[in-house]
Amino acid sequence: MLWVDKYRPKTLDNITAHQHIAQNLKKLVTEQDCPHLLFYGPPGSGKKTLIMALLRQMFGPTAEKVKVENKTWKVDAGSRTLDIELTTLSSTNHVELNPSDAGFQDRYIVQEIIKEMAKNRPIDTKGKKGFKVLVLNEVDKLSREAQHSLRRTMEKYSAYCRLILCCNSSSKVTEAIRSRCLNVRINAPTEEEIVKVLELIGKKEGLQLPSGFAALIAEKSNRSLRRAILSFETCRVQQYPFTSKQVISSMDWEEYVAEIASDIMKEQSPKRLFQVRGKLYELLVNCIPPEIILKRLLYELLKKLDAELKHEVCHWAAYYEHRMRLGQKAIFHIEAFVAKFMSIYKSFLIATFG
Amino acid sequence: MGNRNNLVVLSSDDEENERSLSSNRSYSKPKSRSLVTRSNPNPRRAKKARISNSRSRLSKESSNVNEIGFLYDDFDEVFNGFKVSAGKRESISGFGGSNANGLWVDKYKPRSLEELAVHKKKVEEVKVWFEERLRSSKDEFGHYVLVITGQAGVGKSATIHVIASHLGARVCEWNTPTPVIWQEHLHNSSAGITYTSKLDEFEIFVERIRKYGLIPSSSAKEPKSSNILLIDDLPMTNGKVAFGRLKKCLHLLVRSTRIPTAILLTDYGEADSADQTARCSEELKLYLESAGACKVAFNPITNNSMKKTLSRICRLERFNVTAEQIDLIARASGGDIRNAITSLQFCCLKPDPLRSLSLCETTPTYLREKSDEISALDGESSLKFGRDETLSLFHALGKFLHNKRETENAMALMDQDEFLVRDKFSRLPLKMDAPEKVLCQAHGQARPIADFLHENVLDFLCEEAIDDAWTVASYLSDADMLLATFRGMLTRYNEAENVLQTAAASVAVRGVLFGNSHPSPSRWHAIRRPKLWQVEQSSLCNKTEIVKRRFTGYSGQTLSDLSVVTTEYTPMLKWLGYGTSGGLETHQDLMQDNKTEDNFDKMSLDGQQEIETTDDEIEDW
Repeated sequence: MLWVDKYRPKTLDNITAHQHIAQNLKKLVTEQDCPHLLFYGPPGSGKKTLIMALLRQMFGPTAEKVKVENKTWKVDAGSRTLDIELTTLSSTNHVELNPSDAGFQDRYIVQEIIKEMAKNRPIDTKGKKGFKVLVLNEVDKLSREAQHSLRRTMEKYSAYCRLILCCNSSSKVTEAIRSRCLNVRINAPTEEEIVKVLELIGKKEGLQLPSGFAALIAEKSNRSLRRAILSFETCRVQQYPFTSKQVISSMDWEEYVAEIASDIMKEQSPKRLFQVRGKLYELLVNCIPPEIILKRLLYELLKKLDAELKHEVCHWAAYYEHRMRLGQKAIFHIEAFVAKFMSIYKSFLIATFG
Repeated sequence: MGNRNNLVVLSSDDEENERSLSSNRSYSKPKSRSLVTRSNPNPRRAKKARISNSRSRLSKESSNVNEIGFLYDDFDEVFNGFKVSAGKRESISGFGGSNANGLWVDKYKPRSLEELAVHKKKVEEVKVWFEERLRSSKDEFGHYVLVITGQAGVGKSATIHVIASHLGARVCEWNTPTPVIWQEHLHNSSAGITYTSKLDEFEIFVERIRKYGLIPSSSAKEPKSSNILLIDDLPMTNGKVAFGRLKKCLHLLVRSTRIPTAILLTDYGEADSADQTARCSEELKLYLESAGACKVAFNPITNNSMKKTLSRICRLERFNVTAEQIDLIARASGGDIRNAITSLQFCCLKPDPLRSLSLCETTPTYLREKSDEISALDGESSLKFGRDETLSLFHALGKFLHNKRETENAMALMDQDEFLVRDKFSRLPLKMDAPEKVLCQAHGQARPIADFLHENVLDFLCEEAIDDAWTVASYLSDADMLLATFRGMLTRYNEAENVLQTAAASVAVRGVLFGNSHPSPSRWHAIRRPKLWQVEQSSLCNKTEIVKRRFTGYSGQTLSDLSVVTTEYTPMLKWLGYGTSGGLETHQDLMQDNKTEDNFDKMSLDGQQEIETTDDEIEDW
């Protein structure tokens, strides 16, 4: 088992990084009624951990007995019936799924599942009808239509089930949904917190941590706890005992993006743009999300860039990131950004060095 | 019910009439000289006879070999009636009315090898082929089938007929029988006639031809003459099974027939290649060749020979048509001589062809000055006759990508009536039709057009012009955004979607044309198929893989986001080395690059089909 899973806090009391929030959630649940919840925050900040712990708090250890199901939903969509296949993770009291996996058909999924859940409600010990919890991941990736249908079903079936939504950015969730939920922002843990967690894991694994080593990993992790733990484990495999100057390897795709960035800096021509396109395709084939590619690329480019250009470049990156979201094929927009950068950078070079 | 039946009879009658007419048109009689004497003084009677005959044939529905000859005679009769008037053509045209008699296409059917507008070499090739097979003793050649391909109206059947008459051979034709419409079928079946599919008929026909050859017609006028079998029209097939049967049947024909047989296949333009039938004919062509048939491809008629034919007709009709006009017609026809002749006739119908032409030619004067005939075609004049030209997608893309523009001085002429734009934004006028028109001709759909342009445009930019690259890229990004706007909406938005599609295509094309202000020196570029399609396909594959494995891998009790899996877990597991913990094995093959490589290979092999399915899927959604 990966350390990330092995050392994941199981109960709200054990939570290290967001103790305050955890305590509040505990109070919330013990007071019987629980509103819909929307957890949002950057990746690796502990949203899932909190949700899992919360479910355990609500339903006891049964929440951990989950089974994976590959279900086909028959959806009646007006003129035809659709078969949508989706994998769900469920216990007696909750169902977890990623509706955005259904692609264009996500809007049907949400409705169907909630309807079905409403049909067979569990009965709690007091003979009172309880409610089920539906955990929806990546809500920000849902299409606008799906979010609308989610909103309607949310109201209609609110007596039967509670929704826990989870996403990275609440700005991509419609107002209507946000206002119907209790919004819980989970901040990225600070580097000190990460260091604390790493040291704890080190102690439990019985490892010798040289001073500054945990800090080094924390710094590299970009304040993502998951990332920190993962690279900690990688380091353990690569080289033990640790040295304080150990190289902490970054992810392969990140290195690849860095390579692309240096390609762009070296030459600005249509031909080079074409080569860059080929490399971008490589990343896309491996399912690296285009937003993340663009973000990382910007980060790499900014590292080497003259300060006076940074503002403009950032502006265009934001512009094309927005375009990408509106558009259909990400490569068009990423490439437009690269072309724009090349154009800016080239004229800058000519202006400075003649 | 009775009423309906009446109607059915009528309609079938109509069809027969139509059919006989159309076969008249496509039919040119061999040995016309010898048979004219047998001309029927009353064409109406002949027609009647024909109708009743064909109806009886329909009712019998069994194809008798004799029937071929019989039909043939039947045609003859109708034709002779026709020919009489044709023979008098000098006198009729003397009245000055071309409308007094039939179509010029029939009237000026080539009667000798010299009159054929087809290229001499091709005619010679076909002629030699037939000569060899007719003259020499049997079994000297392995096969007796000639496949002639070419687009519509290049004189495929005319060539056969002329050559046959030159060699003194009789042409026996197989024409696809008229399709039976449903009502007719009901009528027939109530009359106890069973339905036979057209393919069955063709199979039986081929079978008999193979076994018995052509049995001389019952009314044998010519005691012993050589025969040529002409299969002008293959029966329509629908679906794989029927197509397979047709193929098998043709294969047998190619292998075993001992009568020189010509099979005519019409090429469809590249532009229509999305059509199923076009693809079938392509496949048939290859298949026939592999079965051992000899193939001759006819090219579109060249402008010069087209002009020669047209002016000959004009001379004979005593119409004074300017060389310019003839040239225009010849160009507009796109190598289709049948069409050109009809256009010419139509053009001559006008009370004063000269004036109307000069009228419409006055408008684009600046273009005429440059004596650019092709652009002159663009004017009003071309719309009055000629076929609408179709372009292949690649042709159109080539136009857009090469971005040919006028030179400086032409620009000066244009300037007066254009509003001023800043230097930065002004471009020289395009050396082509409006991009939208070109798109329309190529049946271009916005999405593939944008993809193709995106894939290829960088090759056509000058090495230094990174600014241009950005302009182009930004316009393509706009186009993509437009295309995505109504994605996934259902039919009620179709109208809006159409507008958007057109707008997006226009933005993409014009963006490319505008942005590419420093085209690279023109040289040969291959236009590639968008790699993006492959990439999308394989990333979709990978994604479903990952989604499936997400649960087995992480032994956690929660689902991870896809992005987290791809950006963090996957590379991390790669670092850890495969298989540190039990549940992870499933991930390994995913990690290996050759996996995706494999996918790539498969994708490129499957090519078109693979990609088309995705397209369909996307449209579905």
